[in-house]
Amino acid sequence: MNEERHQILRMLADGQITVDDAEKLIAALERDQPAPSSTDVVPSKTQPKYVRVFMDAASEGDGPSRINIRVPLKLLRAGVRLTSLIPPIAVTRINTELNNRGIPLDLGELKPQQLEDLIEGLYDLTIDMDDPGNKMRVYCE
Amino acid sequence: MIPQLVTVRYRRRDGRWRRWFVPVVPIVLVLSPLLVLAVVGGVIACLVFRMSAWGALRGAGRVLWSLPGTRFDLEDGHEGVRVSIR
Repeated sequence: MNEERHQILRMLADGQITVDDAEKLIAALERDQPAPSSTDVVPSKTQPKYVRVFMDAASEGDGPSRINIRVPLKLLRAGVRLTSLIPPIAVTRINTELNNRGIPLDLGELKPQQLEDLIEGLYDLTIDMDDPGNKMRVYCE
Repeated sequence: MIPQLVTVRYRRRDGRWRRWFVPVVPIVLVLSPLLVLAVVGGVIACLVFRMSAWGALRGAGRVLWSLPGTRFDLEDGHEGVRVSIR
């Protein structure tokens, strides 16, 4: 597009075409430009900032128990990145223990991108548990 | 931004709430000599355990920087604790 416009302006500067011709050509160029389709526009979804954990449990003792926790996702991300600092000896021991318990997970193979994906996977997480007398909700906001 | 103010509220058995406001920056300034010692100790520990001292400092800083906005609110019967980091 810019190249064609430049060419028209160059022709105008060289005197090969008149100003009116140049205007018509540029207008034709703009007409040919495809209008942006609605499918190209990605809706900007606001990313959640916090993980919320609510729990409301009826207790037979002094009264009800309530938990209301709000943790920034940035904090989760920072905490998860700390796993890269685990000493190699500890990684080996953790891997061995995990294998012994039937979880074939190698912490050394975890890449930062995978951890990012893990955090991003939380964006759509919603856990809603409703039990007579007890309620629990985990979600991102 | 590092946390500016930590608010701790706790409710005792008599039902009254007590509040503590902890201004982080002044406290950090007052405790800075101890913090320097803690950082040196941490770096030595990193070297002993063959960890990246720079990575550990950066990770700790990242955790500290992302603390604002955290809130814990726990209540059990007549007792309760609320911690808010701003």
